[in-house]
Amino acid sequence: MNLDVLSGRVSTAHGQATVDVPREEWVGAVTAARDQLGLTYFDVLTAVDEQADGFDVVLRLWSVEQREGLLLRTRCPRKDPRVPSLTGVFAGAGWHERETAELFGIGFDGHPDLAPLLLPDGFEGHPLRKDFVLASRVVKAWPGAKEPGESDADLVDAPVRRKNLPLGVPQPGSWP
Amino acid sequence: MTELPPRSRGAIGLLEENCTVCMLCARECPDWCLYIDSHKETVEGPGRPKVRNVLDRFAIDWSLCMYCGICVEVCPFDALFWTPEHDYPADEPKALVHEREQLREWMWTVPPPPPLERTPERER
Repeated sequence: MNLDVLSGRVSTAHGQATVDVPREEWVGAVTAARDQLGLTYFDVLTAVDEQADGFDVVLRLWSVEQREGLLLRTRCPRKDPRVPSLTGVFAGAGWHERETAELFGIGFDGHPDLAPLLLPDGFEGHPLRKDFVLASRVVKAWPGAKEPGESDADLVDAPVRRKNLPLGVPQPGSWP
Repeated sequence: MTELPPRSRGAIGLLEENCTVCMLCARECPDWCLYIDSHKETVEGPGRPKVRNVLDRFAIDWSLCMYCGICVEVCPFDALFWTPEHDYPADEPKALVHEREQLREWMWTVPPPPPLERTPERER
């Protein structure tokens, strides 16, 4: 597969080639991948929260004929989370972009209708952003807070000496 | 139905005798679905009296568990084991919390460990 036609930065990890393209060239690169490389099957589109570096929108295309896949990736800044929509290239991108818009809060310019798709009505926030705090981690006490030899009753009477904190959960007071 | 392979992740059995209440499994569990209560007891014996942890409660909430097996992997004393038994429906979510008695019952369904691989050393 000649990736030069995509004019993006090519990297390979775990045997999978990834092409990074600037977001201005996003639609053009995906169109070229479809028309010139034979990547006609739209597999999946999603995003990755890279925190201060912004969001990566990731697309996987597949060539049915060559039995080979390709990852395409573009980045948008956190302050301006918008990427051009691919609905003009692959109609099936519509639902993937709706899902990504809902879960990451990324806009897709040119999408016909970015209506919420999965979350309950009135849901606030974008749960796949890394700064999103899960309600279930706030309302429930961490079962690992106890020391060996302690039970729940001990924690109630215990003086404030909690030093065991669950990994990966923002501590109260640090939430945005 | 074909028989499930012994490595199947159906439920987790607890071999209580091996548990030292170190809390590692409860702390590593990404789903927060392991509940452990314990107290300390002083055992008089030859030499100085020893303090040891005594298990009061060990429960797994299968409605939260995602069957990742980190608790089984992290246990330093081999107190947790996978069993292929997977048939334990319940009428309500609370009934999916299996306490130590039920977890021990699972223990008796744990298949024997797979035979060691043949290596030149063991051939001799």
